[in-house]
Amino acid sequence: MKHALAPLFDGHDAVQAEIDRRPADTADHTAATRRILDTYHPARLSLTVTDVVTETPSTATFRLRRPDGTDLPPFLAGQYVTVFADGTSRAYAISSSPARADHWDLTVRRVPGGRISNHLVDTVAPGHTLVTTGPMGTFHHNPLFHGDDVVFLAGGSGVAPAMSMIRDILDHGLDRRFHLLYGSRSADDVLFRDELDALAAKHPNIRVDHVIADPGPQWAGPTGFLTASLIETLAGPLDGRMVYVCGPQALYPYALAQLAELGHPPRRIRFEANGAPADPTAQPHWPADTAPDTEVTVTARGQSFRTRRDRPLLDALEDQGIRPEAACRSGECSLCRVRVVKGTVHAAEEARLRLSDEKFGYTHSCVAYPITDVELDV
Amino acid sequence: MRTMTDVDAVVIGAGNAGLTAAATLQRAGLRTLLVERHNVPGGCATSFRRGRYEFEVALHQLSGVGLEGQGFTLRGLFNKLGVSDRIDFVQEEDLYRAVVPGQHDVTLPADWAGAADALEEAFPGNRDRIERFFKLLRNVAFWQIAAMRGLPGDDINPVLFRQGLRPLGDVLDEHFDDPGIKSVLAAYWVYLGQPPSRLAFQDLAVTLFAYLEFKPWHVRGGSQAMSTAILDSFLDAGGEVRFNTAVTGIRTERGRAVGVRLDDGEEVSAREVVSNASLPVTYGMLDASAVPHRIRTDLATRRVGVSGFILHMGLDATPAELGFTTSTTFVNADTDDERTYAAYHTLEPARGICLSSYDVAPIGFAPSGTTHVGLMTLQYSDLWEKLSPAEYAKAKFAYAETLLDRAEAVVPGIRDAIEEVDVATPLTMARYLGHPGGAIYGYDQDRTENWLFRDSLRDPGVPGLHLAGSWAGFGGFQPTLEAGHRVARNLLHAQPA
Ligand SMILES: Cc1cc2nc3c(=O)[nH]c(=O)nc-3n(C[C@H](O)[C@H](O)[C@H](O)COP(=O)(O)OP(=O)(O)OC[C@H]3O[C@@H](n4cnc5c(N)ncnc54)[C@H](O)[C@@H]3O)c2cc1C
Repeated sequence: MKHALAPLFDGHDAVQAEIDRRPADTADHTAATRRILDTYHPARLSLTVTDVVTETPSTATFRLRRPDGTDLPPFLAGQYVTVFADGTSRAYAISSSPARADHWDLTVRRVPGGRISNHLVDTVAPGHTLVTTGPMGTFHHNPLFHGDDVVFLAGGSGVAPAMSMIRDILDHGLDRRFHLLYGSRSADDVLFRDELDALAAKHPNIRVDHVIADPGPQWAGPTGFLTASLIETLAGPLDGRMVYVCGPQALYPYALAQLAELGHPPRRIRFEANGAPADPTAQPHWPADTAPDTEVTVTARGQSFRTRRDRPLLDALEDQGIRPEAACRSGECSLCRVRVVKGTVHAAEEARLRLSDEKFGYTHSCVAYPITDVELDV
Repeated sequence: MRTMTDVDAVVIGAGNAGLTAAATLQRAGLRTLLVERHNVPGGCATSFRRGRYEFEVALHQLSGVGLEGQGFTLRGLFNKLGVSDRIDFVQEEDLYRAVVPGQHDVTLPADWAGAADALEEAFPGNRDRIERFFKLLRNVAFWQIAAMRGLPGDDINPVLFRQGLRPLGDVLDEHFDDPGIKSVLAAYWVYLGQPPSRLAFQDLAVTLFAYLEFKPWHVRGGSQAMSTAILDSFLDAGGEVRFNTAVTGIRTERGRAVGVRLDDGEEVSAREVVSNASLPVTYGMLDASAVPHRIRTDLATRRVGVSGFILHMGLDATPAELGFTTSTTFVNADTDDERTYAAYHTLEPARGICLSSYDVAPIGFAPSGTTHVGLMTLQYSDLWEKLSPAEYAKAKFAYAETLLDRAEAVVPGIRDAIEEVDVATPLTMARYLGHPGGAIYGYDQDRTENWLFRDSLRDPGVPGLHLAGSWAGFGGFQPTLEAGHRVARNLLHAQPA
């Protein structure tokens, strides 16, 4: 209906005529929008485990497909999905090739004492269903500035995203050189060893060096840790090449120090998200005089419960059956953001908070610790 | 799960208009539930973190904030919502720098006389024409605002009726010969998404007026700080918000909206339903029988609007080292705006870009010594929707390169300074907003979308349903912030005592 003033405007009839002339837009916009979401960013997927490959005694690869066999959402090599299990969730890098849309492989290594990794390796068998998020994360090659000559420092199961990146290069015929320096504890602990060695032998743009910390008598290759001098010996001068780092938490500060020693600029290093800090109290800004093993009361969604000060709030909430949305569990993705209504919460260095979060009392519960009794709006 | 929540009002979506509507209702005493799909408030008005940086998603320049003491400003609105003391505004000195390499490079300060001087210096001999154009623009903007506020036709200066609906291009042609000066004056057309041939003069007039008269501003902590502040006021007043929750249906009884259904199965009953979701999605959530024929006919003649393609960047150098002299820089291949607009439907190299440097007047998102930059062009989503998922990433990065190529004209060597960059396409916008086509200003804001011809705000067609946001009126920050408040106020006035 036209506004009462419309007829007073010069040209109003021409505009009205244009409206009247227009063919009706009959598209189903709601369906089209839902299709974009389902194709690229489904909130949840229920996937069927079709194969389980035992890689090493401690590690298994789970192959996931859609129950109806259709394509999975596209991902960039290096990205992860979050798996929901046993009342909580964990993120795992996709190790398969992005060229293969019909399945994702997740390579899971047992974490000593780890709840979900052991649960998955022990109990998940072909035919089971796993609930996941869509692919997420920024740990992937970005052609706008990463360059076509890159280095990857992997430790242990941290090789999973590197595997996907290598498969991406080969399957898509990318003009990119990739040098993997892969540290493992012992020679029988190396994941994908045969496949990596075969690929490196066949493709000049893929180089793989295994570095073994506790070598047996059989091992003739490099040993020890990924030290600055070893990195330089194996990879040559880094010359601003992008360096990816993924592995156990201890690798991160270590690799950073080694790369700094080589004069490598921090902005040419990419660290994969890696969970909450093993010991948040070791970070220098942990509040003084706060005993980590003492308990406080947390109140959320009408429940009050006791929890240790050094337990991430997200885990404490999940223990009570309160499950905020969550994905990276490393402080990055912000999905588990909660409001602190009362009390003091400590955010670990990993927390990538927004500037306004601090002002208005929001935190990322996956890397936040209750210092006093707290009340949360979840 | 099927529980029943009972509130006075439910607001679907926590974008600008959803937030101001919810805060207004709750502060007036209506028990209000705000439901948002995403995990943070703001819709477009949000930010995210990458590495050492935080990235502003949408706000280039906030119009209408005004100086202390000016009337009819966003400051006044924020006072009413009780958020003025929760927001720190950052003022910008200039409107923009407009560059066509090899032809012109002009920076317009954010005041009428300074802008006129800068134009005269760049395009000598146009002084009188500029004065005449600005005078007309001020008049049309002033009377258009008065008209929209309900002033009767008899009291309105006829200049509005003679000039307001004319295409911007015609008015520019009548005043100027030099295509350069026309292109510089029209530069903000990209903030509205329609080129001079399709844009009503009154719409650009109001936009330029809002920035020249009330200055361009930003917010410390970005638009997310503003969204969070409004949410804070809503929560303080006792409002309830649910994040990570989508509304999947609007419940009706005997033709009246009586509540909503949530994606977790919960049903909410409410006397009033305010939707900040897009109109196609909103009406799609109603029983077909509840939507009157005249609404369907109206919707069918409106066109899903343009989306954006943007590189969110963290650059490891200061704004000065990079060559940024002002916050907002438009770089165009030439002065052919119509061709630039046509290219929004293609993947040919970006012809026109907007560079926002958020550290000339810092909003706090980049560590010292570095710069946060948004590098944007407009794009329709049609081609992006047609890509096969396997081609998507490649197409996205390839197109992003063309924006960087264009940016080289003002920031030589920009690629060497990149520390972080993340790319958003129309599909990204659709993902985060849930809007068809990832549209960022709602329907195409050409002359047919003018308030004179579209009635969604006044007549949503379903009793109990109210529409607020870019799809029901003007897109953009100031209009949507104001619209949410206005819709809530009208709803409150109509309430039984
Ligand atoms: C990159 C970019 C640059 C821009 N630049 C500018 C600029 O410089 N100046 C300017 O003025 N404007 C600019 N805009 C436009 C401006 O940001 C928008 O027009 C304005 O913010 C829209 O506000 P809105 O109230 O319509 O809500 P929107 O921001 O569109 O938000 C709608 C909200 O509703 C939610 N929602 C949708 N459906 C449902 C559902 N079913 N259930 C629950 N929630 C739902 C969405 O998740 C979203 O949060 C820009 C936008 C973008 C993206």
